[in-house]
Amino acid sequence: MNSFHSGPSIKLYGKLRNWFNFDKNNVLQVYSGKIDIGQHISSTLALISSKITGINYDQVEIIKLDTDISPNEGKTASSLSVPDSGSAIKAASFSLRKAFMKYSLKTLNVNFEDIVFDNGIIKDIKSNKSISYWDYAKTNEFNELTIPEKFDEKEIREFNYKNDHKVEIKTIHDIVTGKYEYVHDMIFPKMLHARIIRPPNYFSKFIKFTNNIDQKINKLDIKIIVKNSFLAILSTDEYLVVKYLDIIKQNIVWEEVKKLSEDTVYNSLKNNDKESLLVKSGGEAFYENIPSLKEFKDKKYTTLTSEYKKGYLMHGPIGPSAACAIFTDKKFTIYSHSQALYDLKLSCSEYFKIDPNNITLKFRPGSGCYGHNGADDVAFEAAILSKEFPDIHILLKWTREDENCWEPYGSASLNKLTGVINDKGKIVYWSNEAFSDTYMTRPSNTELHNFISYNFINNNFTKHKSTPKTKAHMGIHRNLDPLYDFGENRLVKNLVHDLPLRTSALRTLGAFSNVIALECFLNELAKTKNIDPFEIRINHLRDERAINVIKNLKDHMIIDIQIGGAYRGIGFSRYKNSAAYCAVGVELKVHDDLKIKLINAWISVDAGEVAYEDGIKAQVEGGFIQAASWSLYEEVKFDTKEIISKDWDTYKIIEFDNIPNIKTSVIDQKGFPYLGVGEVVAGPAGAAISNAIAEALGQTVKTMPFTKEIITKELLEN
Amino acid sequence: MAKIKCNLNINGKNKTVYIHEDKPLIFVIRDELGLIGTKLGCGLGQCGSCAVLIDGEKKNSCNILAKDYQNCKITTIEGLQTDKGLNTIQEAFKHFNAAQCGYCTSGIIISLSSVFLKKNDPTKKEILSCLEGQLCRCGSHASVMKAIDELKAS
Repeated sequence: MNSFHSGPSIKLYGKLRNWFNFDKNNVLQVYSGKIDIGQHISSTLALISSKITGINYDQVEIIKLDTDISPNEGKTASSLSVPDSGSAIKAASFSLRKAFMKYSLKTLNVNFEDIVFDNGIIKDIKSNKSISYWDYAKTNEFNELTIPEKFDEKEIREFNYKNDHKVEIKTIHDIVTGKYEYVHDMIFPKMLHARIIRPPNYFSKFIKFTNNIDQKINKLDIKIIVKNSFLAILSTDEYLVVKYLDIIKQNIVWEEVKKLSEDTVYNSLKNNDKESLLVKSGGEAFYENIPSLKEFKDKKYTTLTSEYKKGYLMHGPIGPSAACAIFTDKKFTIYSHSQALYDLKLSCSEYFKIDPNNITLKFRPGSGCYGHNGADDVAFEAAILSKEFPDIHILLKWTREDENCWEPYGSASLNKLTGVINDKGKIVYWSNEAFSDTYMTRPSNTELHNFISYNFINNNFTKHKSTPKTKAHMGIHRNLDPLYDFGENRLVKNLVHDLPLRTSALRTLGAFSNVIALECFLNELAKTKNIDPFEIRINHLRDERAINVIKNLKDHMIIDIQIGGAYRGIGFSRYKNSAAYCAVGVELKVHDDLKIKLINAWISVDAGEVAYEDGIKAQVEGGFIQAASWSLYEEVKFDTKEIISKDWDTYKIIEFDNIPNIKTSVIDQKGFPYLGVGEVVAGPAGAAISNAIAEALGQTVKTMPFTKEIITKELLEN
Repeated sequence: MAKIKCNLNINGKNKTVYIHEDKPLIFVIRDELGLIGTKLGCGLGQCGSCAVLIDGEKKNSCNILAKDYQNCKITTIEGLQTDKGLNTIQEAFKHFNAAQCGYCTSGIIISLSSVFLKKNDPTKKEILSCLEGQLCRCGSHASVMKAIDELKAS
């Protein structure tokens, strides 16, 4: 028997009442442990539940996560929102429908043929009597019903569907009319607006204010909080906070305990202390001896080596991180856009030494979220400030400079590759060594030091040493293990210590750089034997779905005639070798001034069963554009004292003038598990861009971003 | 700190506020008048999320002073809607679900309004020119471009 598995969330929350509330007339309220960070999860989940329960989509409401009432489904991360919450809500909705149907037929004492079922109401045709879900929800049976952990797939098959009509996403009306409320927009009586008074860098100790600025400002009904080197300014008038923040910053003395950096990041990646782990087939990392590189001396083998480099990348949401908090009756209520509200609750419990039951985290939308950004930090800081001013809401916003300089970045990285291809075009040996900092510094109750302000409160300026994560496809070694069959693999994860900047989870973690290195080096090897890029990929894959996605891409690219003077490149990946499959093609021009103009992009994606096709398209097209921005424009700049990329002039991102025409093909796999799509496109997109540039220039540019300066440098070096 | 009287015309209504004379327009719009659709982004005039129309022209409201625009017609995202409903740009954005997190969207709609309210069929160059400095981080650009194509076709 093929089974549909309800997933991990149902194991923890197995009752119908954990997922549904019928208190509002004619509205099905659905609880989810995932948050809508712009990936349209609230619409996708509502569609799944609507289709199965038979209640109109417009009447299904996904409740914003509230730690007092919502299931704890972990973080909204790692492309697991639909696989986890979608599967859980599918199972819960099916159980609900089945139980409701049985209850109604029995209560009305009728057969299935004698009823009509419309929008959540069952009506006996003869007697005109009816029962609704809302009636059923009042029964003890509803209250006690347990959702099975798996179903016969045949039973649930009729609800495996591709939504083929236009759906208005749940948030769009309020967004286009300016009514959508972000945490930044919250307002309460007597509320204090706040900003943090940041030092020049991570290693700065507060010494003193000058010119008695603190006393002068206090007379203006502006409050200043000083807790060792953690400083904040607050007022009921947001503009006064902004204005005097600048004035205070000019009247303050910080001691530089340590320099921010001593060397270039790429030198540090090569030379600093590191821990090296062997990554094996399946993607797990092990503390084992790293074998030496093999040599293939026979003439039938061609050996290539190459290095690929990527700088630090920032999340950079358009609206800097924000949070609102109040401490009243010895309880905290914190409004946040963090991906990890339950972890945040436990962290606050640990820091404040307060029972977690006295802390409520409520999700409120923030500006775009692509991983562990400033959301957790700002929520923690807002909670600290709220404790200083009981019974008053504190709305703390980071500034643009805060966001750019203090968020945890996606780490810089270096990949060293060696590959051997035989005279028949078969790759027989593959070595990929990834060097990078950690992608795993989310705060938790045992790792409070991962809150940036925790260290300033304690005047602790020692950089915490990370330990390598070993589970399959974690952090640095995400997608280091190729899906391709390359004969013998030598895969090494190097966690490099004492790198200059703060890092953590940014969309795809290490997969972005690992996939680009893999897919570009694969092209380099193919070129030595004049093998077509599609062919070399297909020839080294055994996974039929992977092959199908690449063929699908090829079919779509062939239809469009290549524009004169433009060049094409492709890239492929299956995210974590277990989530969605994605192949990307790019057509671009390299102008005489070495600026890159994107013209066309094709995306083929297999994300399992399709619940909401437009949602998948939005995710992969958005992901493509973000990855294009990373590839062509982005790198965090810093010197020995501070981060230089403080604003949008000093950290350039893609704009509307370089958006290609994007054609996306979604392959529906009915009856197969949902596979997340939030991150799958980034690696293939960067690789496709890089490979197209290589076609245009006749050589691969191996350092990102592909700016005029970097391309020029690499061309001159060769 | 003394406050000054400031008369503003916002979304067709005359409003009088008493503000610090160096108060940027965005803080008056959001904090004094409660129009939260105008978003505080960079505060440096670089990202466009705070864009409003001033006498029909797009302007970032975070780095201009409210007192300097007393004799102007200011339109925020809330003012684009009429008694007949959403304006054509808002409708097109709805039709194509042209937003992800949506934080940048009101600025982009305002920006496009500065062109489409003057001209039914602006050139691609004119559209890209008005979108210069309208930053989006989620990558909603592709769906925005589809909405623009529909606007041009209608």
